[in-house]
This record gives sequence, structure tokens and C-alpha cells, in this order.
Amino acid sequence: MNVLTVNDLHLDYGHGATANPILKGVSMHLQRGEVVALLGPSGSGKTTLLRAVAGLESPKSGTIDIGERRVFDGSKKLELPAEARNLGLVFQSYALWPHKTVFDNVAYGLKLRKMTARDIEPKVREVLAQLGLGHLGERFPHQLSGGQQQRVAIARALVYNPPVILLDEPLSNLDAKLREEARAFLRELIVRLGLSALMVTHDQAEAMAISDRILLLNNGKIEQQGTPQSMYESPDTLFTAEFMGSNNRLPARVVARNGGTARVQVEGMALNATARGTGASNPDVDASALIRVEEVRIGRTPVDNGIQLPLSTCMYLGDRWECLFKHGNSSVRAYSKHRVDPGNYWLEMPAEKLWVF
Amino acid sequence: MPTSTMPLESKDAGAGSLPAVRAPRFNWARGLVVLLTCVAIFLPLYLVFYQSFLTAPFFMPDKMIGLDAYRFIFDDSDFWLAFKNGLVLAGGLAAIAVPLGGMLAFLMVRTDLPGRGWIAPLLLVPIFVSPMVMGFGYVVSMGPVGFYSTWAHDLLGFVPWNVYSFTSIVVIAGLTHVPHVYLYASSALKSLGSDVEEAARVSGASPWQVMFNVSLPMIMPALAYAGVLVFFLGFEVFGLVLVLGDPEGHLVLATYLYKLTNKLGTPSYHLMAAVAVCLVAVTLPLVMLQRWLLKSANKYVSIKGKGARQKPLALGKWKWMAFAVLGVWLLVTIVLPLSGIVLRSFVQYWGEGVKLADVLTLQHFRDIFAQPSLVRGIVNTVLIGVIGGALAVACYTAIALAMHRKNDGITRLLDYSVLVPRAVPGLLAGLSFLWVFLFVPSWLDGMLHGMDNSVAAWLSEHFIPALRQLRSTIFALWLAYSVVWLAYGMRLVSTSLLQVGPELEEAARAVGASRGRVTRDVTLPLIKFGMLGAWLMVFLIFEREYSTGVYLLSPGTEVIGAMLVSLWAGGSTDLVAALSFINITLVAIGLGIALRFGVKLHN
Repeated sequence: MNVLTVNDLHLDYGHGATANPILKGVSMHLQRGEVVALLGPSGSGKTTLLRAVAGLESPKSGTIDIGERRVFDGSKKLELPAEARNLGLVFQSYALWPHKTVFDNVAYGLKLRKMTARDIEPKVREVLAQLGLGHLGERFPHQLSGGQQQRVAIARALVYNPPVILLDEPLSNLDAKLREEARAFLRELIVRLGLSALMVTHDQAEAMAISDRILLLNNGKIEQQGTPQSMYESPDTLFTAEFMGSNNRLPARVVARNGGTARVQVEGMALNATARGTGASNPDVDASALIRVEEVRIGRTPVDNGIQLPLSTCMYLGDRWECLFKHGNSSVRAYSKHRVDPGNYWLEMPAEKLWVF
Repeated sequence: MPTSTMPLESKDAGAGSLPAVRAPRFNWARGLVVLLTCVAIFLPLYLVFYQSFLTAPFFMPDKMIGLDAYRFIFDDSDFWLAFKNGLVLAGGLAAIAVPLGGMLAFLMVRTDLPGRGWIAPLLLVPIFVSPMVMGFGYVVSMGPVGFYSTWAHDLLGFVPWNVYSFTSIVVIAGLTHVPHVYLYASSALKSLGSDVEEAARVSGASPWQVMFNVSLPMIMPALAYAGVLVFFLGFEVFGLVLVLGDPEGHLVLATYLYKLTNKLGTPSYHLMAAVAVCLVAVTLPLVMLQRWLLKSANKYVSIKGKGARQKPLALGKWKWMAFAVLGVWLLVTIVLPLSGIVLRSFVQYWGEGVKLADVLTLQHFRDIFAQPSLVRGIVNTVLIGVIGGALAVACYTAIALAMHRKNDGITRLLDYSVLVPRAVPGLLAGLSFLWVFLFVPSWLDGMLHGMDNSVAAWLSEHFIPALRQLRSTIFALWLAYSVVWLAYGMRLVSTSLLQVGPELEEAARAVGASRGRVTRDVTLPLIKFGMLGAWLMVFLIFEREYSTGVYLLSPGTEVIGAMLVSLWAGGSTDLVAALSFINITLVAIGLGIALRFGVKLHN
């Protein structure tokens, strides 16, 4: 069952001649108990889409339904105000009210729902305990650490059991070390409480770790959607492939194509590759060959499906080395377990991992 | 001695490739600015204190040190009445202005209230129109025989209001001070991230609940500051009570002080000084409290979320009710008094049963232009606004530069000193400057006589009379105006100075410019437009000022504000109406220019 349905949503900033289209016909749905990530570069409209669902932006046309209830319909001029949509929203800046204690911050939504103080107290205590904040109820937001503030913001959004919880870049305000812990905490919390969540992020690793399904937005449209695994391992477009991981992009020429496989010319070598996407990669056309950095294998001896390049430099990353091989305009990055000595190397690119679009 | 490039040795030798290290020179320019500022601030205040402990005016030969003045006023029941009235007025004013101002700010800054664009400049009108003019406007429009009162009488058979009652005075003072609160509340709201309000809406709060539960509590520090400010302004109210309180005899401290002049027949400077000290004893702590509150006023300012584009809050069904409340406020505070003045300045007389079309005339303006002293007053008002305003801004800039990027004891001294004149109501400041110009020349003269040499004799013969002459020149008035508005002007200038990034000045120092050159070549050019804006604001304030000139009024120093007070005392309503109209016109021109060039009317 869908708890959130968005259909052909259009949204402009500004009016008339100065109108700047931000969303150009976005459709999506969110099922009960599912976590969907809105992923995309800045300016792709992901935050705008989230705010439109929350009722904080006014779309031009399209429809938004929360459960069975229509909350926006462009053709009928129906627009429910934010306070009538009964959603939970976690802000990027947390937006905790500094003049209220943690308890009052969380209790406010219940107070607005006309609950008595006697019913509010145990409910708030329960949510605070679920988030590991049980002992902090009487503190003010500025007395908390960044991670604790984030949890209060989540508790505040959860306390009145909204059908959908919206998260706007929930981890971006935390420092790098804390972010990984918070990521695990958030995923565990969502699974434990069985929440339906829509999360905005610009970090593909975060999106893949937390969500069940990813919607990749590009310039106001959905580029591709699917499970994290399918998005990472079988992208349909060059944009998706490039956005989802660290890649080597090599200038290539398609020599021949046969269904799902293609023969390409890279650095003077003929290689077998996989053809992805729909329109591209006809023979005798300049194209881009793409391979994930972690799929390149470094070797001293000649290989079938590989090119030869001299080592330029090596960077130590702690758990491995990242090596840059460079000659002329072509450069390839690859990981190595050990330090690599200067010299020429063969870089093997397995045919199923080398993609042309 | 062989020359060496070793830094240590070259320093010892006083020669070498490095320039000799100079001892830090005394900054004469800064010293002079600090000295003059302190004299201009503290000499008048010192004289007031000194005078209050004398048993007679300072120029009387039989004066003695004593507490007679305090004994007299503390025994006077009018003094206590005025003191109590002042507190009630200030409290009532704050109780009306703070909630209204806060709500107005929320409606204007955050919601989709219709007509926000043209209402915004109108909101500032009561700040720039002299309270004397406002009070007079209420008399002619809503007084017992005012325009609207007679029309209401025709319609209803009775007049449903009495502007002369103390309650009316409190309400009117409260309504006219709403813009002061609005200014501080709206700038605090603007710097408040909208995400906290959106969070409340998503939690299910309606626009009114957002306002009362989140927005207003979060700007509480700014509201507290504005509350103390309007309480303080209420305690100094002079013009409104002078005009509206007279018929029923309502006094506040400032009008009590003004009336003391006539009470005993002889100049009773010692009594006035004692009242003045009592007044300052209340206002000075309030000013210091304001300073402390202002520091904490930005406590809750939160950083706006990335790319949070603010969408005005939809008021929905409340939209037109909010608009109506605002409309009523505009009507009562601006339209009624100002239209009354405009009407009154173009009619011969007014009363029960008079038809407007029969009595229209331009005679009052002809009368004004026939009287040289009134014409001089208008010219002086323009001059003191335009030229005096420019000079004042130059002085404020000099003081601000003396404090700029120098974190030492002198800066802290100036920082507090410039606030002191804020605590001295204009009426008092005018009085104390009168005493400065009377007292200082005679004191200097006495000292020169005591020195008994030719230079002293020459000075006593030529310099002292010139100094005495100063009192009846417009310079005296300008000095008093500039000191009274010192704190305000300093804020205008230092706001633009704060916007100059320190690295711009440091870069100039690094390429080899001296402090003075940095000021000339970098700092001043960068704050040029800020200074022009400040000039316009000071012009507006100087056009509005009325109480400072009251005691300095003499042939040659007439200004519209002070003339209004004296003409009103003389009962010439026609001339007061026409002069008020001219005053409003001058302010309107200034406001028009400010809006045309996009000068920020507040920060």
C-alpha cells in the first residue's frame, strides 16, 4: 500500500517570464515500511520535492496524496497547508526551538493535537527512550551535542506517529566520524520502528546504506530509480553510473556491437566491453568507456582485456593505496593492496565491468 | 663600527638595512576627538549636577551649596504626581506598544498579508513626525471641536472619545510608539531562520500558533530590549503630554520641568536642575539596561538551512482580519492626526456647524511668510538638517573611527560615554547647553582676570565676547542637537563600519599604508554610501526635533520645533497648524528621497 504518491509534479520558482522550473514532472510513490532516498546533485530539485510534499513549497501542477488523502491537486487548486498534512519532517539544520526544553520540543506536536498533559508525558518519555535521550528531557537544545540534537529532531518528528517521516539531509550537519555512527543508528531505528521514510541526500554512500530504494534526480526529473544494488551495479545512463560511484572515464571508440556486448578501442587497444543504456554505442562512434575504480586490476604481465600505462603517483589511504596511471590524455585510477613501484603496468578491465553508453 | 645585517645588532646600532624601529607616537587626532567628545558629553551634565546642589541659580551672588532644591521639589505634590504619571504612562505605553509591535512585525515579515509593500514605509511615519505635531494633530482632529469629533457629533449626537483624558494620552502614546517595537522585532525576525517556524507548521501549528508559540518567544530578547526602550521613551514623553495633557492638567516630569520656569516667576535653575537629576536617575539605568539587553538580543538567532527559500506563511481566513487590525492602527495613528493638521492649516477657523468649503484659506501661510522670525525658523530648520546633519555625521564618523579596531580602555570609555546623552531628554539637554554657554564664558573670564597679564587681557576683551555670542547663534543649537542624537548617529555610522572586512584594512597595512592612510584610502571610501544614508537619517531626525531647542530659542536660533512649542503656549493655533504642515512636508521630502535612493530606514 502506498503511503505517499506524487504524480507528474511541476514546480517553478518565480512567476511568468522569470519563472525558473525546478521540478519538471516528477512522479514517485512510497510504500508502507519502505525507505526511499531522493538522491541528486545540488540544484536537481530533491529538497524542493521534499518541501513540496511537506507543504512548504507550492507546486504549479500535479498531485500529491498522503495515504488515501489528496493534499495537493494543481488542476483543482487544492492545497492543504503544511499543518494539516500530519507529516513528520526532520530539518537539515534540525530547527529545534531554542526556547523550549528537549521535552517541550518533542511534546509540542502532541499539545497541538489536543492531548492532555497526562497522556503526553508517557508518550514523550517513550519516544525519548527509543532514541536514547531518556535522561536529556530537561535540557535545552544548545546544551546538546550535534548528534543528540539530531536525535531530538527525529523524536519530534516521530512522536505523533505520522504516516511518513521526511528527512532533509539528516546527516550533513554532523562531522565525518559521527556521520557513520548516525547512519547505522538511523537505519537500525527505521527498521526497528518500521517507519516509512523519504530522505533527501546528496551522498550516494549514505543513500545506499540507509534506503531500500533510490530515486536519482537530475535537473528536475527522475533519472533512474531502483534498489541501491541495481543502481550501483547496472546503471542505465552515464549520469547514473557517474553519480553512484568512483569511476574511470576513458575516451573510446566503438568498433563493433553485438547485442549486449561491444568491442571498443581504448588507448590503441581493442577491448571487450558491456553496452549499457539504450540510445548510444553504435559502431564507429566516439563514446565514453566507464569502469569503477575498484574493478581495475593492476599487473606486470600482459593481459587480454587491458591497457598498458606508466605509474604517475600513489596515494596512501590507510587500508589501501590509490594509484594513478597516466599517459597523454588518458589516466586511470586503481586500488592496490601494496605500494606500487614506478614503471609500466598492465591494467586489466573485465569486459562485464567496462561499460560503454 | 662595521655595518651588519643581523637584526639584533642593526637595532643596537640604529642603522642598517631595516628601517629604525620607532617608538609608538601619540595619536593626536584621536586624542583631540576623544577630548572634545567627552567635554561635549560630560560638561553639560556636570553643570546640571552642580546646579542641582546650589541653593540659587549659578549666576546669583548669594548661591550656596545645599540641598534646598531637592527639599523643595520633594515637598511639591505636583512633582510626585508627575513622577507617578510618568511611570504609569511609560508602563501603559510599553504594554500597548510591545504586543502590537511584535504582532505587526510577524505579519509584515512572515505572512502573505495583502499590501505589505506600501504599508512598510507608512509604518515608520510616526517615528519621523514630531510628537508635538502628532499631539497637535490629535487636538485638531479629535479634540472637543476637532474635525472628526464634530463629524462624529453630527452623526451620533455625541463625541465617543475624549483625547484629553489621561487614558487617551496613554493609548495615543502607545499607538505612536508601536513602530519602535516593530523595527526591532522585524529585524530580529528577519535574522531568525524560517526553519523553526516551518518545523512548527509541519508539527501541526496554525499561523497564529506559530506566532505565539515559536516566533515571538524566539525573539523575546529583542522584544525585551524594545520594551525597555519604549518604557524609557515613555518616561521622556514631552510634546504629547504638553499638548494633550494641558486642558485637564496632566503632568509628567518633563512637562513639570517645563512649567517650573513659570512657577516661581524668577529663573529657578536650581529647581529645574534637581528635577533633571531625578529624571536622569531613572533614565540612565534604563539606558544601561538597554545596552545589556542588546548584547543578548541575538541569542536565539539561528543559521538558516541550506537553500531555504522562504515562502510567506499563508494566513488563509485570517488574512482580512489581520489587514483590518492593521488598517485601524494606520487610521488612528497616521491618517487621523495628519489629515487633521492638513485640514486645519487650510481653514480659517473650525467649530460646530462650520462648513468646510466656506472657510478654506491660504491666509495662515501668508501670515507665516510675513513674519521674519518664522521665515528664519523655517530656513534654520532646513539648514540645521542639511548642513548641520552633514557636520554631525562627520563628527560621528570621527568618533566612530577613534573607536574603530582599537580595543583599549579609551574605546570602552567612549562606548559607554556616547550612551550617556541618550539618557538626557532633549528638553534637558537644551537647558544644560544653555547653561554651558552662560557659565563657561563667565568662568573663563573670571580665570583670565585672575591671571593678570596682557595675553589674558586681550583674550578677555576679544575672545570671551565672541564666546558669549555663540549662545544666540545656530551653532549652539547644532551642538545640542548633535550631542542629543550622538548615540543614534553613532549606531548609523558604526553599522556601516562593521561591514568593512578587517582583512581589507589589514591588506592595506601589509602593503605599507599607515593607519591614517588606511582610513583615508580604504575605510572611508568603503563607508561612503553608509555615511550618505546616515546624513539623510540625521536630517530626518533634526527636522523632527523640537524639545532641545526650547530653552535655546532666541532671535537667530529659531527652528520650527521650538517655535511650535512657544507658539502653542501663546495659543496661536492657526500658525501652529501651518508650521506643522510645513514640518510634515519637510519630513515627507526627506522620507521620499530616502525611499527613492533605497536608504535603509532601519537596520
